[in-house]
Amino acid sequence: MENATTASACTEGQLQRLSALLDTVLPASEDGTLPSAREIDFLAYLREQAPDFQAELIGILDRFDDNFPDLTLSRRVDLVRDFSGSDAAAFRRLLFRVYDSYYQNDRVCAAIGARPGPPFPNGHSIPAGDLSSLEAVTARGKGYRR
Amino acid sequence: MNASPSNEPVDVLIIGAGASGAAIAWSLTETRMRILCLEQGDWMVSSQYPTTRKNWEAQQFGAFHVDPNVRGLEADYPVNNTDSPIDVLNFNAVGGSTIGYAAHFPRLHPSDFRVRTLDGVADDWPVTYDDLEPYFVQNDRIMGVSGLAGDPMYPPKQPPLPPLPIGRVGEVVAGGFDRLGWHWWPSDAAILSQPYEGRDKCLNLNPCMSGCSQGAKGSTDITYWPQAIRAGVKLRTRCRVREVTVNEDGMADGVIYYDADGRECVQKAEVVIMACNGVGTPRILLNSKSPQFPDGLANRSGLVGKNLMFHPVALATGVFEERLDTHKGPNGCCILSKEFYETDPDRGFVRGYNMQVTRGAGGPLATAIRGLASGDIPWGPGHHEKFRQRFDHTVQVLAVCEDLPEECNRVTLDPELADSNGIPAPKITYRLSENSKKMLAHGLERGKEVMRAAGAKEILETPLLRPSGWHLLGTARMGTDPDRSVVNAWGRSHDVKNLFIVDGSVFVTAGGVNPTSTIQALALYIGDRIKANLANLFDD
Ligand SMILES: Cc1cc2nc3c(=O)[nH]c(=O)nc-3n(C[C@H](O)[C@H](O)[C@H](O)COP(=O)(O)OP(=O)(O)OC[C@H]3O[C@@H](n4cnc5c(N)ncnc54)[C@H](O)[C@@H]3O)c2cc1C
Repeated sequence: MENATTASACTEGQLQRLSALLDTVLPASEDGTLPSAREIDFLAYLREQAPDFQAELIGILDRFDDNFPDLTLSRRVDLVRDFSGSDAAAFRRLLFRVYDSYYQNDRVCAAIGARPGPPFPNGHSIPAGDLSSLEAVTARGKGYRR
Repeated sequence: MNASPSNEPVDVLIIGAGASGAAIAWSLTETRMRILCLEQGDWMVSSQYPTTRKNWEAQQFGAFHVDPNVRGLEADYPVNNTDSPIDVLNFNAVGGSTIGYAAHFPRLHPSDFRVRTLDGVADDWPVTYDDLEPYFVQNDRIMGVSGLAGDPMYPPKQPPLPPLPIGRVGEVVAGGFDRLGWHWWPSDAAILSQPYEGRDKCLNLNPCMSGCSQGAKGSTDITYWPQAIRAGVKLRTRCRVREVTVNEDGMADGVIYYDADGRECVQKAEVVIMACNGVGTPRILLNSKSPQFPDGLANRSGLVGKNLMFHPVALATGVFEERLDTHKGPNGCCILSKEFYETDPDRGFVRGYNMQVTRGAGGPLATAIRGLASGDIPWGPGHHEKFRQRFDHTVQVLAVCEDLPEECNRVTLDPELADSNGIPAPKITYRLSENSKKMLAHGLERGKEVMRAAGAKEILETPLLRPSGWHLLGTARMGTDPDRSVVNAWGRSHDVKNLFIVDGSVFVTAGGVNPTSTIQALALYIGDRIKANLANLFDD
């Protein structure tokens, strides 16, 4: 995980578990176009946008054993599923944060065809669209009652 | 009690600065009366709306959520929805729920005002489409409405601005309607397709429901209010009204409210106008108990809070092979169909629904989160494949169904839950009628049909959308009979001759379209009736 060393609040073990956890909930796509969530600087995102979540995150990481990062992806998925079953609300909060950081990332946005950053002020342009078939709609005549 | 010296009595006191409060404030300015509006929320700052920030999507799940129970901001009051399959949604600020609305801006149809005569159900309104027509026009002009003239489902009308782009998504779904031979039309929208009266045109940002940074969406903080304030109306924010008070003659004489510091204050007035919406208004009236009105103000009919109507919504989501760019363009306004709007007895229900085509499930985060919640997009190894199939590839068609009034559907005061000032919260008791259930099922099937005809490769169903209490109607209905209605044909309480109601509470029936255009036209109409009757406003 890039920049993980900036995470002064986490132990080395927690950082490794975090990296594995991120890779479990959002692994890289098979075709390689989408990165694993472990490649996104999740801790920088938390510091900047969701500092309140940091304490809860540490609690979540401590639910997993030290060997979690060494397990296969499918085994990690099983363990994360157990966690989601035992504390669905905490899991939902974690996923929300992971998704939020992930889908703000420039590389991810480029890969899914979304422009990174706030929509304002650039906005988007969309085509006016073809209205020609409305002639047939109007030809069917008045459709309201009085 | 702290009656501050600044609280000089006023001629007209409006409670609530949303869609209707703003319209009537503006309308009454020409009377040169002393007009004051008390609003529990604050002014919004467009440069701080989510779309100006990196985390614009996350904010829609927090401080800009459509549900006040999730937002939980100081301006909000909690709503107890536990006895309802539909959650009440709103926004509390100057502009009211127009800050968060999608600005889809249809008018009720002529038949909506005559449901008893035409279909033998509910009641006719004491006003007609033709009565409101000039006010629709006036309101369209002030809000800035874009649309296309010529829709055969309405009497002739001419929106002031050309229609918004329907985009590729509109074309694709319109193709489905065309193949089935069904009506469709570009939506009327209170969103600018061109620069208009100092406001710039829509930038297609998409999440209109978290406030418009561009100011292209017509929320009343940027349409009516600046004009009303320039003309002398005073607007006092962060003032939450607890109750309307009465004098010994049973006339309203003002309100008790809490200011921003939580101080209890008194404001006296000659005329009181309620504009707190279909849930906020009955809440305050029911909380205004006195020896003359032990069951709540203006409630001798017992109907305050009753006949609550939403527009129950069923939703078909089409998944398309083609990329449709549905995260661009105004979320709620694309095209619509009125094919099933008018009653057809063969369908097994009376009245009908509007099919509203919207622009997908939002941006990437919203797609992922909503997909997770519905079980459609998993976390873990299968995420990316499913996400790619969904993001920008889905279109939703909503069947926005007419709900008929039933007294069992109601707003009461919660015995326990209260807002931060201790004012009892509204409790919603609501169930779907058999008619609504049949209509929802029909709407869902027709939604699926049009999606198939448009080429969807997969269709997801939502038989009833829970977070769909956008439209809050009927809880202080209009009518000529004081035993069967709360206000008369021009919004004046039958029981309290200087108390008016101008928000969605006064709707007799709901129609099958989004109500704000009609709410505001009615407020302007009531404003004109007040002006016309000023000399004998309180007479029988
Ligand atoms: C997410 C969302 C999307 C919507 N989309 C559409 C759409 O596309 N088209 C459409 O036609 N409609 C839409 N609506 C509905 C539309 O916003 C409402 O119909 C309209 O705003 C109602 O107008 P109103 O004047 O009755 O109430 P509101 O606009 O809700 O205004 C009521 C005001 O009263 C204030 N208030 C309440 N109680 C008190 C009190 N005790 N003291 C002081 N102030 C108080 C509130 O803070 C608020 O500002 C949508 C609504 C929501 C929430």
